[in-house]
Amino acid sequence: MANVIPSPKEYDVIIVGSGAGGGMAAYILTRAGARCLMLEAGDWFDTAKDSTMMMWPWQAPHRGASTPEHPFGYFDACVGGWQLKGEPYSVTPGQKFMWWRARMLGGRTNHWGRISLRWGPYDFKPYTRDGLGFDWPISYQDLAPYYDRTEELIGVFGSHENMENAPDGKFLPPPKPRAHELIIQRAARKLNIPCIPSRLSILTRPLNGRIACGYCGQCGRSCATGSNFSSPTVLLPPAQATQLLEIRTGAMAREVLIGRNGRARGISYIDKKTRSEVQVHSKVVVLAASACETARLLLNSRSPQHPDGLANRHGLVGKYLMDTVGSDVGGYLPQLTGLPPFNEDGVGGMHVYMPWWNYEKQLRHQMNFPRGYHIEVGGGRGMPGPDSFGGSERYLGGGYGLQLKRGVRKWFGAFIGFSGRGEMIPNENSYCEIDRTTVDEWGIPVLRFHWQWSEHEIQQARHMQQTFQELIETAGGKVTYSSRGPDWGISRGGEIIHEVGTVRCGLDPRTAPLNAWCQAWDCKNLFVTDGAPLVSNADKNPTLTIMALAWRTAERLASEMRKGNLA
Amino acid sequence: MPSRKSQPSAEPGAGLRRRELLKIIGLGPAASILPAAAAAETAAAQAPASASATAAPQLKSLNRQEFDTIALLSDWILPADERSGSASQAGVPAFIDDWLAFQGDWLSAEIRGGLAWLDLECNRLYKHDFSRCSTAEQKKMIDRMAWPHSAAPEDSHAVAFFNRLRNLVLGGFYSSPMGVKDLPYLGNQMIPEWNGGAPPAVLARLGLTEEEEENQRWLRQRQAEGHWVQRPLPPARRS
Repeated sequence: MANVIPSPKEYDVIIVGSGAGGGMAAYILTRAGARCLMLEAGDWFDTAKDSTMMMWPWQAPHRGASTPEHPFGYFDACVGGWQLKGEPYSVTPGQKFMWWRARMLGGRTNHWGRISLRWGPYDFKPYTRDGLGFDWPISYQDLAPYYDRTEELIGVFGSHENMENAPDGKFLPPPKPRAHELIIQRAARKLNIPCIPSRLSILTRPLNGRIACGYCGQCGRSCATGSNFSSPTVLLPPAQATQLLEIRTGAMAREVLIGRNGRARGISYIDKKTRSEVQVHSKVVVLAASACETARLLLNSRSPQHPDGLANRHGLVGKYLMDTVGSDVGGYLPQLTGLPPFNEDGVGGMHVYMPWWNYEKQLRHQMNFPRGYHIEVGGGRGMPGPDSFGGSERYLGGGYGLQLKRGVRKWFGAFIGFSGRGEMIPNENSYCEIDRTTVDEWGIPVLRFHWQWSEHEIQQARHMQQTFQELIETAGGKVTYSSRGPDWGISRGGEIIHEVGTVRCGLDPRTAPLNAWCQAWDCKNLFVTDGAPLVSNADKNPTLTIMALAWRTAERLASEMRKGNLA
Repeated sequence: MPSRKSQPSAEPGAGLRRRELLKIIGLGPAASILPAAAAAETAAAQAPASASATAAPQLKSLNRQEFDTIALLSDWILPADERSGSASQAGVPAFIDDWLAFQGDWLSAEIRGGLAWLDLECNRLYKHDFSRCSTAEQKKMIDRMAWPHSAAPEDSHAVAFFNRLRNLVLGGFYSSPMGVKDLPYLGNQMIPEWNGGAPPAVLARLGLTEEEEENQRWLRQRQAEGHWVQRPLPPARRS
């Protein structure tokens, strides 16, 4: 570890992280002519060669079952999980939080559900609307052009619906809904819930040299044809083509190096192969290591000029950590039993979803919780796996023999599931800080998490449970899986893998570490482009917003650098 | 476990083009697009599936007698019929042996404990192990375990064991080549156009032919009545 290798040259920008935020920063900055170095803590990943697409269960260890190394099963592309060997974290005793880390080129963009929902005008001014949480320093109008460009670059399908607070985008045509989705849509209508085509970053038409989807439903396995969005498929190749981007993998960032003037002058990282520290220098530093990892980096970057860590003069780094509220219900639809066989894999994910529909009631104070959730739909004749029959006695009634065999054939494809994804309001009890006693195997102090849902989120989960059960019953089905109070099946903090908000942006340096351009108030050549700057966490999955915001931030960075304002 | 990490290349994401992929998938087993390491794993994983239950593979968690009883029970649960073979013909006993070793002690104890009880009870009633019982005796025992709603309360542990075993057998069978053909699951292939999955006749049978249009009409009407339309933001509130 004593071995320090100084880098011979100075880059214009060092970007920590290669996922949605880091990939977008590299794409924009290299186009603007900046020489960039990207540091990725994980290994290289080739989205085509390393894909597990088209594999059958019997071609994988234990039929592709989930393991601690692959919590979503062997086929899941993501290298990482809630527990990493040698990289612990702690949680306040009695509280529940789980921290997902993707350690691979492209980060979590190899993992996500491709759900690409624009946030709406309400989502940027939540405090103004209901007096809870905080307003963003920017509005929907500020970000709208960047949503446009991001969608045109990555490819998102969807339909124009003009729905309240769910702005339409630059959409490719959506795929037709499957049979169970049409049944759910009809049931939703009876309950006065709008159900519309989903919005996913999967190509239903060729785009920018990428070919269209083959409808195998295996987006999570890494798309071998590059037809869905991931950073290594869409953002990194054009950045590399400029010859201005160098990518170093196995580079675990340790701290931001600070010059005597108090500004960032590079990054100190651990080269995992040699276990030696390497220092690299740049004019500007961009952090995009994921919300909690970015907070950890800032807190671990202590210097005489920034004794409490970088951008942490007011002790705000790590605060207002948010995830998404999740709760699930499952059941079956008898009308789907005994159908003739057909292939309905479709795209990897739902073809329809239900955006939040109760703004009007909330405005009239007729709901017992603020903020909304959207509903995701699952079901269909998907690939069977070794875990597909857990609890089968509940719908097959037990039994054995030919009767059982005929029963399984009859029931195949009749199951449906609903997942709610709701907005959490930032609170004082959910945050991360440096654990004063523990380091990871690279010697870097680790994070300690504090987590508490408030009654707002619990009531939302309760409403999810009631709504999903009503949906199944209205569709003529039966509920087989649901949750009751007191917590209504609410997910653990971090379980939905939407952690955001640890280094928020704002108009006042006393209440936000970053300004409206996601630039540190205390260190003008430091920018953040991951989920950390997010001020709220609307029910719309954050990746698309992270990318639109990263585009805006990187564009500003490039322009400020050109003007000499960052030197 | 085969590694899925590859070496750096100049162009991430470059490589397979759709036409090539379709060609490969159309011509041969999908495994041909896999990296060599995974393909080797594939061959190893397929081997037990083609071997019969009595071919004595290396056991990982069960002893020989337990393995044979599992094979017997598996075939009671899923026997052969005109569409597909039996659970043991699909390699389910080897799957269960591997699964128990992989899942760890809690499941192994449950299954092996259930097997121990089964032999104990058969010896009490019939003076020999389950595997040496007559077909009628075996059926009697299985009928005690297989019907959760009508089983005797004192057999609750046997019912729980059999529920677990049934689900393992189903999982093992339907995630095997034989089971996939049996269902049948018709996906895991690249198709040039997506038409919604269910053929028109099925949609007609479900009464869904007009659903999309109906939904659109309803949504537009609701919006015309003033629902789910964007409202202006109130004046900014100062915190």
